[in-house]
Amino acid sequence: MNTAKTFAYVPGEHEAEKASNSYLMSMVALIAGLHLPIVNLVATLIFYLSNRKATYFVRWHCTQALLSQLSMLFVNSTGFWWTIRIIFTDEKVSNRYFAYILVALIFDIIEFIATIYAAIETRKGKHVSWIIFGPLTNIICRP
Amino acid sequence: MIMKKIILPALFFIALFFGAWYALSKVDWIRIFRIEKIAASTEQKLGDYYWDYFSKIQHENKSTKIYAPVDSIVTRLCEANNIDRKTIKLHIVETEEINAFALPNGHLVVFTGLIKGCESDAELAGVLGHEMAHIQKGHVMKKLIKEVGLSALMSIASGKGGKAASETAKLLSSAAYDRKLEKEADLTSVEYMENAHINPEPFADFLFRLSKETKPGDNYLAWISTHPDSEERSKYILAAITNKSEKYTDIVSAATWQQLQDAVKELQ
Repeated sequence: MNTAKTFAYVPGEHEAEKASNSYLMSMVALIAGLHLPIVNLVATLIFYLSNRKATYFVRWHCTQALLSQLSMLFVNSTGFWWTIRIIFTDEKVSNRYFAYILVALIFDIIEFIATIYAAIETRKGKHVSWIIFGPLTNIICRP
Repeated sequence: MIMKKIILPALFFIALFFGAWYALSKVDWIRIFRIEKIAASTEQKLGDYYWDYFSKIQHENKSTKIYAPVDSIVTRLCEANNIDRKTIKLHIVETEEINAFALPNGHLVVFTGLIKGCESDAELAGVLGHEMAHIQKGHVMKKLIKEVGLSALMSIASGKGGKAASETAKLLSSAAYDRKLEKEADLTSVEYMENAHINPEPFADFLFRLSKETKPGDNYLAWISTHPDSEERSKYILAAITNKSEKYTDIVSAATWQQLQDAVKELQ
């Protein structure tokens, strides 16, 4: 899922730290917000907005972190509201429900591992471009 | 470029997600996680706990004169609606309060005040049918989970509930379910009665009559005061009766009903 590529320039120490923080932020938010998926997105969005005027390297990684959170928001929100419906309405637990939660969990774990890897690499000043989200970030985020 | 680097990989991951979901749905997780057994055992423990709590603070009347006619009504409703009679555990409690409520695991608690407040066996059948509907539709556990939370219920079931357990017991006996569930129970009761050839109209009359008698802070009419809009309820119950021309039959004889009334009046 992660593909390391060279960036347009070599980022400085301060930039590497900030870019790495964007992934750490989304990781912490993921742990805290699993019960309420919107927490992940809001936390990453706040970090993204506060770094809108940062350098290209920082902005690029904040955008990639935000996009990846956005994709998982739909998956986790569905699981969250399905669970709420089971608890509070006539909806019954089913094999389809368990299968969904399991697949969502597997995707969450993959994203979690990818986020840890990206946080470590960007902290070293290395550029990490994820499949789908990397090219998408290239379109959204300009130097 | 966009097609190759974004759209195609995105479609691949979406297909992977739905494919994995579909494949894993074929596994019988309900059996693997023993969901039904765990749910049934938790409900049984909760039912026993709550009934134990009520039986300690109130006196259960097991005399044949009172128990048998009420049991006949419950049995008639069960037989006509394919409900296993053994799943309904009828308890008659001596108190002036006009109330009846359902506890987890099919415990149906009826106060002698309610029997006294009913003018016919059909009126009592309407209320019993309403509470049986709460049991059959799984409303009792739903209400508990909603009000108390799943984790608190699990601790009550394992005997670690403490004070919270007695607080929730009061909730079961003196608070209504939400509007949607109450209406569902009312309409199911009408259906039960019609299937059992019992006239549902007296059930509507009972609600209408007691709603007129209810005054603020009137604790003796708990079943009415905790179930809002009794007048509206009586209207939609009347509207839900489908077989108006059907010949209804009595559940117990007039003499047995009178004996029951005399027996509950003697208690006070």
